[in-house]
Amino acid sequence: MEEILQQLEADLAKAKTLPEVEQLRVKYLGRKGSITLLAKNTDFSRLSPDEKRSFGQRLNALKNRAEEAIQEAQQRLAQQGASLGMVWSGADLSLPSSDRRFGAMHPISLIQRELEEIFQGMGFRVLSGYEVETEYYNFDALNIPPDHPARDMQDTFWLDDGRLLRTHTSANQVRALERYGAPIRAIFPGRCFRNEAIDASHENTFYQLEGLLVDRDISVAHLIGVMKTLLSAVFHREVTVRLRPGFFPFVEPGFELDVQCLICGGNGCATCKRSGWIELIPCGLVHPRVLEFGRVDTRIFSGFAFGMGLTRMAMMKFGIPDIRLFNSGDIRFYEQFPVSM
Amino acid sequence: MKISLDWISDFVNLEGVPPEELAERLTLATAEVEQIHILRRFTQGVVVGRIIACEALHGPGEQRLHRVEVDCGSQRYQSVCGAPNVRVGLVSAFAPAGVSLAGGTLITEQTIAGCRSEGILCSAAELGMSHWHEGVLEIPNSVLLGTPLDALVPVEDVLIEIDNKSLTHRPDLWGHYGFAREISVILDRPLKPLASYDLSEFQSLPGYPLEVESFQDCPCYGCLDLRFRAGVPSPLWMQRRLHALGQRTFNLAVDVTNYVMWELGQPTHAFDGDRLRKIRVAPMGKESGFVTLDGQERRMLPDDLLIWNESEPVALAGIMGGLHSEVSLDTTHVLLESANFRADRVRRTSLRLDLRTEAAQRFEKSQPPGNVITAVGRILQCLILSGETFEALSKFTLAGDPDSYHRPLLVEWEQVDRMAGVAVPREEARRILTGLGFQVATRDGLLELGIPPHRSRRDLSIPADIVEEILRLYGYGRIEPRLPIAPLRHLPVNESLQREHRTRRVLAGAHQFIEVQNYIWFDSRWLQELSWQPQECLRLRNPPSQHNGCLRTTLVPNLLALVRPNRTHCDSFRLFEISRVFGNAEEGQHERTFLAGVTYQPSRADAEEHVRVIRSALDDLGVSLCGKGFGFEPCSEDVSPWQKRGVSLVIHGDAGPIGGIGLLTGKILKTVVPDGQVVWFELDLEAVPIVVHPAIKFAQLPVYPGSWQDFSLLWDSDRGFAALEAVLNAFRHPLVSRRDFVYRFKGKGLPPGKSSYTFRYHLAAADHTLSAEEIDAFRSEFLRHLESHGIALR
Repeated sequence: MEEILQQLEADLAKAKTLPEVEQLRVKYLGRKGSITLLAKNTDFSRLSPDEKRSFGQRLNALKNRAEEAIQEAQQRLAQQGASLGMVWSGADLSLPSSDRRFGAMHPISLIQRELEEIFQGMGFRVLSGYEVETEYYNFDALNIPPDHPARDMQDTFWLDDGRLLRTHTSANQVRALERYGAPIRAIFPGRCFRNEAIDASHENTFYQLEGLLVDRDISVAHLIGVMKTLLSAVFHREVTVRLRPGFFPFVEPGFELDVQCLICGGNGCATCKRSGWIELIPCGLVHPRVLEFGRVDTRIFSGFAFGMGLTRMAMMKFGIPDIRLFNSGDIRFYEQFPVSM
Repeated sequence: MKISLDWISDFVNLEGVPPEELAERLTLATAEVEQIHILRRFTQGVVVGRIIACEALHGPGEQRLHRVEVDCGSQRYQSVCGAPNVRVGLVSAFAPAGVSLAGGTLITEQTIAGCRSEGILCSAAELGMSHWHEGVLEIPNSVLLGTPLDALVPVEDVLIEIDNKSLTHRPDLWGHYGFAREISVILDRPLKPLASYDLSEFQSLPGYPLEVESFQDCPCYGCLDLRFRAGVPSPLWMQRRLHALGQRTFNLAVDVTNYVMWELGQPTHAFDGDRLRKIRVAPMGKESGFVTLDGQERRMLPDDLLIWNESEPVALAGIMGGLHSEVSLDTTHVLLESANFRADRVRRTSLRLDLRTEAAQRFEKSQPPGNVITAVGRILQCLILSGETFEALSKFTLAGDPDSYHRPLLVEWEQVDRMAGVAVPREEARRILTGLGFQVATRDGLLELGIPPHRSRRDLSIPADIVEEILRLYGYGRIEPRLPIAPLRHLPVNESLQREHRTRRVLAGAHQFIEVQNYIWFDSRWLQELSWQPQECLRLRNPPSQHNGCLRTTLVPNLLALVRPNRTHCDSFRLFEISRVFGNAEEGQHERTFLAGVTYQPSRADAEEHVRVIRSALDDLGVSLCGKGFGFEPCSEDVSPWQKRGVSLVIHGDAGPIGGIGLLTGKILKTVVPDGQVVWFELDLEAVPIVVHPAIKFAQLPVYPGSWQDFSLLWDSDRGFAALEAVLNAFRHPLVSRRDFVYRFKGKGLPPGKSSYTFRYHLAAADHTLSAEEIDAFRSEFLRHLESHGIALR
């Protein structure tokens, strides 16, 4: 009997975890444990009453001492566990969490929401438009001449009924002016379509965000000021911008707005093709003819418009190298954009 | 478009301006510079020489080789030459042994085919002038033999490459002179005039027979009948510049027309004068073939505009000449064409034929008609500069309106300042406009302008256009940014966007859904696999592929297509998409925002549970959007391969059905995925009213405890939960404050065909604790209701 106890104490000393102690308890005191079996395997009928009593006492003492030893070991290990941040209640709370409830949002949804919030913070309202548009709003009302190449089948998806898939969110400019008049401050995010061959940097389906501000005496100085403020909010830091001439029939003067490369700070790197600048936003003062199409009095009001490539912004912001991923339907892509709005 | 600084220097002094600085300033003021190329030529040590003997070598593999003797003035050389144009009398460029040529080739003395070679005759490519290597360089006879080539073709030129996209509205910038004009204003340095021959000198000569039938497509056509040595080589200064721009050289007549095109932007054409008697400008009229000078037969449509010699077509107007009227080596009689063709006409034909020539590209930008005259004067001037004489056989004959006057425009100074947002110094504005070729006068705060004819009407017609001209050269960078001041205004919420964003938050934020985006069109091959066609849809005239001609009327099929590919790397998933679908428009717009989803789990067991989990997401969505869940009713007919009777539900909003949810079974399930279980749903999001700010009403917390009562009801399994729920809904009792469904039990111990549905009722009164009698009264009333519907307790 003493041997069993000594063996138990030696085993307990070696045990490092509570489950190991539990295993030892089963080994010695369980239904088929060695101490239990010791009692079971003894043929009491062949013992004298004194022998029975003495054996019973020794067996009980052994059981008690064994239980004490096991409890001690359990307490020792539980204390160690507590000092490691675990509380013992029979369950291992350090197991990893399971069954997370978050899915994921499309990266365009994330960036669109972020930009909507920035613009709303600057007093712009958010308007929706149509994906199937008329030639009038997509081209005519934007002062795009009837023979302009953009209207070709090579560039625009045309419907059998003469309408088209909008090629830019600018199609919403005159709709917004007709409906809300001047002054107006609005953005129109949305999906656009162009008949392009698809590769890593070209898609026939992409997202833009158009902005329009019409008020009294709006100038180039205002355009620069608003864009600078906006881009500082988008990139969460002060940005340097520059305007250079760009030609779009619906603005005059028209610009390409470049932002000083945020990667190299303008020194030139691969991202900015060594130029120090990244072409970001085509913009300009709204062409008076467009304002007239929108029934705005051009003697009183002027304004500016700008177009941001939402898909392009998402690619820049999240470091997405291939535009085809946006419409790929591949969960492994979307999963990388957890809910954050 | 590349511009050569060598060429620009003819008109503006570029001294002391590094090319990088010039490129930067051009980008900021005029057009985007893409790249700066340094052109390095290998003309050092090469000399001008004449072939004085040329003997073909005969032998295997030597068919094209000639043994030549080259006279280089003070010295004669032996050489072997394989060029097709080698001939006695040809003046060319000779690189003696010891000279390095393009590609690092060091010329050495060697023996070729048994003949001694002391150097080589060079092609333009070997000299690094261009990539043309069809033959050795041809140099005019007038050049002194032995002249070092680098005296005529300098070793270096700098080319600035401009992004063509930034030149679409500027026909004047499709030639060097236009850029020289911009640069002169940018640098504030004088612009040398473009010397031009006075055409009025030929006024007394007879006109050339000319008839323009389509002034719509050809607003202005001019021609001049000339006699000169058209087939001789053009001078090296002309060749080196054309080569630098990648323009192949041919002979004096062709090169001089190309040269003036690269200088002025105006394409012209040299016909073999002996082959023409009368020019007619007219459409093709019928479908027919025409062989262009590249030897290709082109299919012409009736509307294509052609140049005719009487009734024989000789050129594709504004795009390319014909093979049979091409100038050749011996031509001495040239009809020079200088015309203006309508941009759209040229673009359509050239695009269709895929014949995007330099000429076509320029006409597509709407060349100013006035260039028709300027170009001819300049061509004659270049012939004189080439040392050639010419004789005019006709006067310069013109049909149509060359429109070459300054167009008047009045601009208020104040408007300039207002649009800029800064006061632009008057003197500077005046300098800029004058430099760009405007006639400028000022009076009483007004700018009286004459817009120069070289600027397109499309580009410059209103005061805002003038403001742009001033500001871009004044410098946008000098305008101090300002923020507009606007009155405080309430911004109305965009409800449709709000609806979309809330949907995303509920499904992605609380129910493990992943948002995807699919294309706006169906894929007909996939629809065929699904055995389904939309009844009607909006069709694309020019779809991205023949399978994608139909715009989506439902989002489900494209989502179903995503199940199989994603299953390979994901055990189970839930996808959703918010997107537009399109009905066939009867009146105006017919475009709606739909929400759809598909969910996949690998086991086919527990289908009810699968649907219930997705329904709970939709319940949450309903609460988030409009404060309450949607209604679900069994779908009583087969609507589509995915929405079938018995395995789908119709989703109801306040005004009727707005969508559906269901389980894929049978053939479509096999088509979508080989194993596992798929649930789909779709609803018309715009039909869900959004309550932006829900009116939430607080209910007093109960003061008196209530009582929970469980009931297990036996109900026909076939009739389903919804019918049972309707029965329970019909029972109203003032004490019932809540009813929960706990579980359904099917199996042993129940009467055949029955299931047991357990509900838990909570009974409470606001003003007292319920008595046992009250509870008993409720129970008996409830049981009576159940009994009247044949429902027994288990």
